[in-house]
Amino acid sequence: MTAETIIQSLASGLLLGLLYGLIAVGLALIFGLMDVVNFAHGEFLMISMYATFFLFAFFALDPLLSAPLVAAALFVFGAVVYLLVVRFAMRAKANAGMVQIFSTFGLAIVMRGLAQFFFTPDYRSVSHSWLGGKTVSIAGIFLPQPQLMGAAVAILAFGGLYFFINRTDFGRALEATREDAGAVALVGIDKNRVFALGWGLGAALVGLAGAIMAMFFYIYPDVGASFALIAYVTVALGGFGSVFGAFAGGIIVGLVEATTALVMPPSLKSVGIYAVYLLVVFIRPRGLFGSI
Amino acid sequence: MDKAFAERRRRELMLAGCLALVAALVPLFVKDVYVQNIMVLTLMYAALSQSWNILSGYCGQISLGHALYFGLGAYTTALLFTKFGVLPWFGMLAGGVISALIAMALGYPCFRLRGHYFAIATIVIAEIALLLFQNWNWAGAALGIDIPIRRDSWLTFQFARSKLPYFYFALVLACIAWFVTWWLEDSKWGFWWRAVKDNPDAAESLGVVVFNSKMGAAAVSAFLVAVGGSFYCQFVSYIDPESVMGFQFSLLMALPAVLGGIGTLWGPMLGAVILIPLTELTRSFIGGSGRGVDLIVYGSLIVLISLARPQGLVGLFARKKKALAP
Amino acid sequence: MTPLLETRSVTQRFSGLVANSDVSISVGRGEIVGLIGPNGAGKSTLFNLIAGVMPPTEGAILFDGEDVTRLPAAERCQRGIGRTFQVVKSFETMSVIDNVIVGALVRATHIREARRNAHEVLEFAGLAARADVLASDLIPSEKRRLEVARALATRPKLLLLDEVLTGLTPIEAQTGVELVRRVRETGVTVLMVEHVMEIVMPLVDRAIVLDLGKVLVAGKPQDVVRDPKVITAYLGDRHAVGQ
Repeated sequence: MTAETIIQSLASGLLLGLLYGLIAVGLALIFGLMDVVNFAHGEFLMISMYATFFLFAFFALDPLLSAPLVAAALFVFGAVVYLLVVRFAMRAKANAGMVQIFSTFGLAIVMRGLAQFFFTPDYRSVSHSWLGGKTVSIAGIFLPQPQLMGAAVAILAFGGLYFFINRTDFGRALEATREDAGAVALVGIDKNRVFALGWGLGAALVGLAGAIMAMFFYIYPDVGASFALIAYVTVALGGFGSVFGAFAGGIIVGLVEATTALVMPPSLKSVGIYAVYLLVVFIRPRGLFGSI
Repeated sequence: MDKAFAERRRRELMLAGCLALVAALVPLFVKDVYVQNIMVLTLMYAALSQSWNILSGYCGQISLGHALYFGLGAYTTALLFTKFGVLPWFGMLAGGVISALIAMALGYPCFRLRGHYFAIATIVIAEIALLLFQNWNWAGAALGIDIPIRRDSWLTFQFARSKLPYFYFALVLACIAWFVTWWLEDSKWGFWWRAVKDNPDAAESLGVVVFNSKMGAAAVSAFLVAVGGSFYCQFVSYIDPESVMGFQFSLLMALPAVLGGIGTLWGPMLGAVILIPLTELTRSFIGGSGRGVDLIVYGSLIVLISLARPQGLVGLFARKKKALAP
Repeated sequence: MTPLLETRSVTQRFSGLVANSDVSISVGRGEIVGLIGPNGAGKSTLFNLIAGVMPPTEGAILFDGEDVTRLPAAERCQRGIGRTFQVVKSFETMSVIDNVIVGALVRATHIREARRNAHEVLEFAGLAARADVLASDLIPSEKRRLEVARALATRPKLLLLDEVLTGLTPIEAQTGVELVRRVRETGVTVLMVEHVMEIVMPLVDRAIVLDLGKVLVAGKPQDVVRDPKVITAYLGDRHAVGQ
């Protein structure tokens, strides 16, 4: 194992980590907003990957072009999920914990079933995209272009999100609702509208990630499951409710995963990040940057 | 007042006894092996879900990683039998004890976590165990363990020619799980769990040490689930990490309880009786293109129940009872 | 005779806010002591400290001769400190009798014993007829009584009552006062936080007045009520309400 391979591994880990952060930030946003964990988050990723694939297969649209479309579609989907499912889940008084977990969980199962039914369990892939298979050499390290683009998109998205939350009216409404959902009604902010849009935003971010990932990952009905777990780990690590935490958490997870893969057999590479999650929640239950 | 309560308890016990009797007679009339297979699995999941319910329903700590104990039970039995010739009956006990101890050890750091964090931690722990077993060569790694099939015997708990012994064992296991739940319902622990689940601050002010009560629930739940895992190992005679520690088991243990009524005495049983045959039938009857139909069906059921009727289907029967009472 | 409860220079800080400052009080066995003071005086905080919800930032709490400062709430209950909550925290999903059984389980070795004790306590508190009713179906004054009954089931030596008489109709309040008197007659010491002066002053043996986190004055109710410092502390409040 040379220094070169190590740096190479860590570099790709970093790139992938930024993408993990992008997946996770939607989850963090939703949780920070209304204290609900979206257990169907992995499936949101899955359908965005499928959407990208089908846009490619039927309209020869490159994932980079379909990314905004997919994000928009996921935005609508996320808002709809809130309005049709989550809104009612939040009203539960008895067994509230169970309801919140299983309502989105059940949805995840349905989505996976639908994917299996309509798309079959076959593995799909976007066979040729503009960036697919190309690499770029930076200081002697070879970085795959799709992943590089993914990292760039993630950074832009985070920047945009930061700007959106802190500088726009809606972003402030989001923050206000997060602080006190009851009080905002008194100033004329419709809580349901804010929540629906929050879900839409969270879903759109995951949609963006899915479109990018379609360039270099296989697409199949259960693909969401493995990334979902990584997303939960990332959010918990960074701290549920913290957008910045998701960003930092993603980078850490990506690096930890890459490091683990260097020292352990490839099938065990996830053990590293799972162990990190446990360590973090045991020692610092609120995560590194969390406030909840 | 006490008399009415004692009456109700007796009635519950008698109802369970009658149902068990009826169930015991069913195989005499149903000879189709395929159907018998479904019945065995239904009973097994009823037992598993009932046990899961003790920790996640009564105690309120939703675990989505119970497959860990199922797998531990299966592997303990399989390893002790194939490597050391220990009979599965002792293997079951060993598996149960090991799982109970591990559950308590994990509970120590985990019970401090809030609901979502806890659920995710359980998923993560089960996944770690799965990955470790997949790479553990002595335990067969990804290839798993084959239980050598010899002649039918109760000693080695192996039957190739008939499903009936498995059926009766599963029935007994389900009865035990139900009985343990019934007994715990009117016990110190049962009250503590309900109090902690309802209002932990109030419970504390009344002397309930929240932490200890959760440990007890975890241990009992894990023990029973592990025994179920041991049973499964003997039933299918072949195990590998994915087939006994996979997340699908954690789900299939939880869903019947959610459907039937989480935290209730009959919920998991009712849920299992509906969900498991449904799952098996939709999976096989609709053939290739029907892939995923079982998921769509029970996923939708779970969403509907969570939103419309969180207390589960058992609530339907309770309503009728209330209407009849003066 | 050593006091049953003693707080020694207890101070409680919450990131910048000082809720209790150098509070030293004592409650003798068999007394009914009233803890009064205007809003924000730190009464609830002091209650929570005595009950063991959190350890004080500074100071010590002694109960029945034992230093319980670091003991968590559940263990304090086992030692004999029972409490009610200002905002009633009944087990909504459980019946009245089951609520009380949870309390009784601290002292009972067997569930049957706990059930029997629970029935007795319900009789004592006048809730026997509502035993099988779901706690969520009770009217507010009944819920208050359930809070008290539940705490009594733990066979406390000291019962902390947090505004159990506030917001009741005059008749309900009188029943409540009677209940507190009967509780004391069974040998339980009572420390109660209250707002409604007319009701609490005739009931208590001694009154301790808190203001802005400090002990203002302590003594017989009739003396405390006439103390100029107390009048000022309350007058300020009444002025704000627009007297």
